Amino acid sequence: MQLLFQRWRQQVAAYFSTPAASSREAQQREVSTRRRGRMSQLIRSHIPPRTERMAVDQDWSSVYPTAAAFKPASVPLPIRMGYPVKGGVPPPKEGNLELIKIPNFLHLTPPAIKKHCAALRDFCTEWPSALDGDEKCEQHFPVEIETVDYVSAGTSIRNPKARIVTLRVKLSNLNLDDHAKKKLIKLVGKRYCKDTDVLTIITDRCPLRRQNYDYGIHLLTVLYHESWKTEAWESEKTEEDMEEYIWENSSSQKNALDTLLQIKATENVSNVTKEELLASEVVRNYRNSVIALKNEGETESNMSQYKESVKKLLNIQALP
Amino acid sequence: MLRSVKGFICRPLKLDHGYALHMAAKDCFSSVVSQDVQTPAEKPRAIFYTNESDPIKTFQEACVMVRKPALELFTYLKNSNFAHPVVRYVIYGERGTGKTMTLCHVVHFCARQGWLVLHIPDAHLWVKNCKELMQSSYNKERLDQPLQASFWLRNFRTTNEHFLKEIKTQQKYVWGKRDSTEQGRPLGEVVEQGLTRVKNASDAVGVVLKEIKQQCCLGSFRVLVAVDGVNALWGRTTLKKEDKSPVSPEELTLVYNLRKMVMNNWSGGAVVTTLSQTGSLFKPSSAHLPHELLGKEGFDALDPFVPILVPNYTEREFESCYHYYLHCRWLQHEKARTEDGKEELRFLSGCNPWQLERLSAPL
Repeated sequence: MQLLFQRWRQQVAAYFSTPAASSREAQQREVSTRRRGRMSQLIRSHIPPRTERMAVDQDWSSVYPTAAAFKPASVPLPIRMGYPVKGGVPPPKEGNLELIKIPNFLHLTPPAIKKHCAALRDFCTEWPSALDGDEKCEQHFPVEIETVDYVSAGTSIRNPKARIVTLRVKLSNLNLDDHAKKKLIKLVGKRYCKDTDVLTIITDRCPLRRQNYDYGIHLLTVLYHESWKTEAWESEKTEEDMEEYIWENSSSQKNALDTLLQIKATENVSNVTKEELLASEVVRNYRNSVIALKNEGETESNMSQYKESVKKLLNIQALP
Repeated sequence: MLRSVKGFICRPLKLDHGYALHMAAKDCFSSVVSQDVQTPAEKPRAIFYTNESDPIKTFQEACVMVRKPALELFTYLKNSNFAHPVVRYVIYGERGTGKTMTLCHVVHFCARQGWLVLHIPDAHLWVKNCKELMQSSYNKERLDQPLQASFWLRNFRTTNEHFLKEIKTQQKYVWGKRDSTEQGRPLGEVVEQGLTRVKNASDAVGVVLKEIKQQCCLGSFRVLVAVDGVNALWGRTTLKKEDKSPVSPEELTLVYNLRKMVMNNWSGGAVVTTLSQTGSLFKPSSAHLPHELLGKEGFDALDPFVPILVPNYTEREFESCYHYYLHCRWLQHEKARTEDGKEELRFLSGCNPWQLERLSAPL
């Protein structure tokens, strides 16, 4: 601290005294003297930026303790940003508006965050030792509630965003049968993620956080109970409403059976019932390949599997 | 307008695996087929030329490269049991890999064997850009397309002359107050009727298809139904009725009859179709798999079918195509003859037949 102060005094003295410390400054002053003559006393040469005096192992959180704009003289990184001049490179950081405009996270480096955590530790309670893994957390607490608290320097401690409550639950933790699960997924729509099997409910319609939390829990309960009920009109579910392809009673099954019956008729094999045909190996094969094709989309392997099954079904030989 | 027929170089010795020749035009094959059918007893080294679009004119010959998918189809067709219901084959693949050419090759093969060939060069032409749409006299809800129907009837007549004399109608058809076709008349009369009275052309097409379907079950002749761009039958159309409401495909007589033909409730032949994205309506250019192009309706209608994938050129096929171009002096650039040039062509085209043709055109 003393050292810094002394250095600063030297710098200030250097302004107002004629012999310059470094040769570069001398040259600059020479030039400015030559160029501007009488104005030379009024021109101040630039002091070197703070970056040149920064140690490599300095405490960065004291340079940027809070969110601040990008200061090129305080950030010792050779950053260039912006559209390059033709045949050139992007402009440097000095006086670069692009760098100042964008938000930066120079105040949130990992050591800074460690310090924040250390400061907050006094206000936190211990994590329960029994919950030492994600699976255990999920097993004991399947419903996750997420709320955010906002702190800002201002006249009021209230923030309207603080009332938002997010509820997350995995459907595998709920007791749902096949019909109930499909109905629930249809009821919630976009709030369900198929890849992670997580239902997310975000509530913010009430003014207080507690009210939103209660509403979220109420929604979950209602969804659960409603999905278990079967309404009268659910029997009118058509093929377009189905989530996945079901081969039974589809046109594919009809076509296949018709074709097979015609083939059998030409071969004069009578008394072959539909059930026998359905149970036969070729039809099973065909059924599986069509289901794979429709549910998983078309891939090379799916198409070749379908081709093989159709060839077996229709008895087409490939050998010349 | 009869296409002037001059000849077609046919080298059966070379039309097998080893040496392959490549053709580029897509839209003139019915005339090529007609040559073969007209002279069925021709010696193998018969020479025909056709006077059609560019590469054929320049090369003075029409050549087809023999590739695996076509050979596969030939084995299936040879081994198929004609008492069973017809098997549908769907040729699919990415853009420019040779699906239409494979179809043409199959058409040629069947024509050589004496089958009756119902070739629809491009079904997409029937669902877009039709100038005249008339209400059908047979069924009030349907719409006729006299121009397309008469065009097709003309081609059909050229390709299948001798069949038209053999097949007889099985019932009486009344075209109008004064025109009617009695039972037992040759099918050629129905075709003539359609051509002279253009108003009845679409219905004539329907009658032709119905008769052929009924009679080929008896086994006297085999029928090949070759449709290019079969996904047009189940998609959307760009046609509008007079009150500007859109027309769906089943309201068109031609499409309705063709759909019935493509069903597998008859026997004694085969149905070979291709899926085509170029020319298809309202489909993204990356779509090439059956489900994407046919849609749910089309897939369910054609199911069960045998899908046949046509890939890009293999190494060998690329080599032979390149050598053919050199042989015909299509590639004029000096550097094209070098190894480097060949590698460059291979890289730029990605072994895609269509790309290769486009690249070599200015060379």
